[in-house]
Amino acid sequence: MSLLQTTGLRASYGQVDVLLGIDIEVNQGEMVVILGANGAGKTTTMRAVSGTIPRSGSIVFDGHEIVTQNAESIVRLGIAHVPQGRGTFSDLTVEENLRIGAYIRKDSVESDIERWFETFPRLGERKSQKAGSLSGGEQQMLAIARALMSRPRLLLCDEPSLGLAPLVTQELFGVLKSLNQQEGLSVLLVEQNANLALKIANKVYLLETGQVVASGDAESIAGDERIRRAYLGG
Amino acid sequence: MLKIKEGSVVHWAVRVACVLAIAIFIVYIPTHSETARIGQFASAFTLIIAAMSLNLVLGYTGQISIGHSAFFGIGGYTAAILIRDHGWSPGYTFYAAAIIAFIVGCLIAMPVLRIRGAYLALVTLAVAVLFPTLLRWKKLEWLTSGAKGIDSVKYDKLPVWPFLGELKGRDGRAVFAYWLGLLVLVIAFLICRGLIKSRVGRSLIAIRDNETAAAVMGVNVTRTKVLIFGISASLCALAGVLSTLSTGVVTPDGQYVTLLGSIIFLLIMVVGGAGTLSGPIIGGLVYVWLDNTTRGIGTDSRGVVGFIFGWTNQSPATLILGLALIVIMLFAPTGLVGLFRKLSRRIVTIEPQGQ
Ligand SMILES: Nc1ncnc2c1ncn2[C@@H]1O[C@H](COP(=O)(O)OP(=O)(O)OP(=O)(O)O)[C@@H](O)[C@H]1O
Ligand SMILES: [Mg+2]
Repeated sequence: MSLLQTTGLRASYGQVDVLLGIDIEVNQGEMVVILGANGAGKTTTMRAVSGTIPRSGSIVFDGHEIVTQNAESIVRLGIAHVPQGRGTFSDLTVEENLRIGAYIRKDSVESDIERWFETFPRLGERKSQKAGSLSGGEQQMLAIARALMSRPRLLLCDEPSLGLAPLVTQELFGVLKSLNQQEGLSVLLVEQNANLALKIANKVYLLETGQVVASGDAESIAGDERIRRAYLGG
Repeated sequence: MLKIKEGSVVHWAVRVACVLAIAIFIVYIPTHSETARIGQFASAFTLIIAAMSLNLVLGYTGQISIGHSAFFGIGGYTAAILIRDHGWSPGYTFYAAAIIAFIVGCLIAMPVLRIRGAYLALVTLAVAVLFPTLLRWKKLEWLTSGAKGIDSVKYDKLPVWPFLGELKGRDGRAVFAYWLGLLVLVIAFLICRGLIKSRVGRSLIAIRDNETAAAVMGVNVTRTKVLIFGISASLCALAGVLSTLSTGVVTPDGQYVTLLGSIIFLLIMVVGGAGTLSGPIIGGLVYVWLDNTTRGIGTDSRGVVGFIFGWTNQSPATLILGLALIVIMLFAPTGLVGLFRKLSRRIVTIEPQGQ
């Protein structure tokens, strides 16, 4: 069943058109990866879906047309966005960051906090520390845990591996994968490292200058000659 | 270095000792000081409230406002007009001023807060500059009494508060202004504290840190900014009411009604420590102390001061005050509260529980 479907999604910054009509589909329980070079429009696509920039076309999430909705209502519908560069709140403590992740929830969040501290013990050890004092890897974990505090059905994750050591990246991807497989969390992931992306994805979209130029399941993309040359180094 | 466990007996003892010391100080001032000193504290309380209100907007949410003198003025004039023209009992004017300032604050914030940074500073600067001009406007003279302002709006008869006994004369007025100021200050402090420690407070800091990330957490950034601006405006108006009630006059040239007021609130907040709850309190006390100490320095000073400033034929008071504030900011870029925290950490550390 289709959870997210964008059709002819367009977005621009001022006069500059960046997305020229993007069609992307994420089914319930899928892990979908967006690949693409710098400046292709990956981040812009994520922003358009989460409602943080003006956009046009159609975005249907779980039967609702959300292209006209603001960021707040989109979170409430169940989409959480981990922005590129993490966007953790450096003057708030680790725990406060998690609490604000649950901003839209009215019920008790203590058990969720416990849970993410168990998943990421390093965050638990630093729960009263200011987020600004964490390492890059820890901040990325915090950004993901914070997004999950809203109990989303779709997680948008923008280049979580950026600037992280391979080992930390593996740990993070492990967590994402198990959330996806064990709990059926649907994930739309932006990733520059094609090898990594193809290992984890059910489905891949390749973006070039604001357009989808190739898409398919991980195997067929891995077999695509153009992609091998451009993204897999051979 | 001393180490104290959080929640231990020693920790509690230190806390209780601090609270006791503050309480004794608060009672000592109005019972044992001369009238002028009591008045200085009353005006410090007023300034602290204004700086606290600005702190919500600038310190916590990161929105620059240089227009808070106008909200102070709205409070001051609301009280004066309601008491003089409509015979209101002074106590009720606090509510009216808070409501009017809240509405005006939100109306200004709605279009203005969509713009950021320097532009916001410019628009609020214009508000601060225009406000006194508006008060002097001929067509509003029926309301504001134009350039001469409104005077003798004090309490006719001081209310009787159980623990104060009967208050009379100039001394009585000062003592009453002191306690009234303290009461409003405590209320304003509790409102700020309540806001900051709640989910709203976290969302304010989140907006300051990263507006877009706050939005994707589901924080309605514009609405939050507008509301906090309105709340801040109404707190600042309370300070204005206090000032009118304790001095009895309000004019378009009044120090805190003009642009200078906005600058003073800003200074107090920054000197004390922006984005901290106790910052405005420390800043306000230090500012009033410095202001009164330097004010005594005249052209006839001797010694070092006379040597340095002897060439002027004006009192160097404002200049010295300004220099002192610059020195404080150089040595304590995060405010006096920040400096205090850094220094005290070298002597005592509080260890969190369960470690
Ligand atoms: N805030 C902005 N204002 C103006 N132009 C922007 C803005 N953000 C991005 N762009 C432009 O839009 C285009 C797409 O940017 P986007 O950030 O979506 O790329 P990306 O695929 O995420 O790249 P990267 O891999 O480097 O993160 C780029 O040409 C970029 O210069
Ligand atoms: Mg990007």
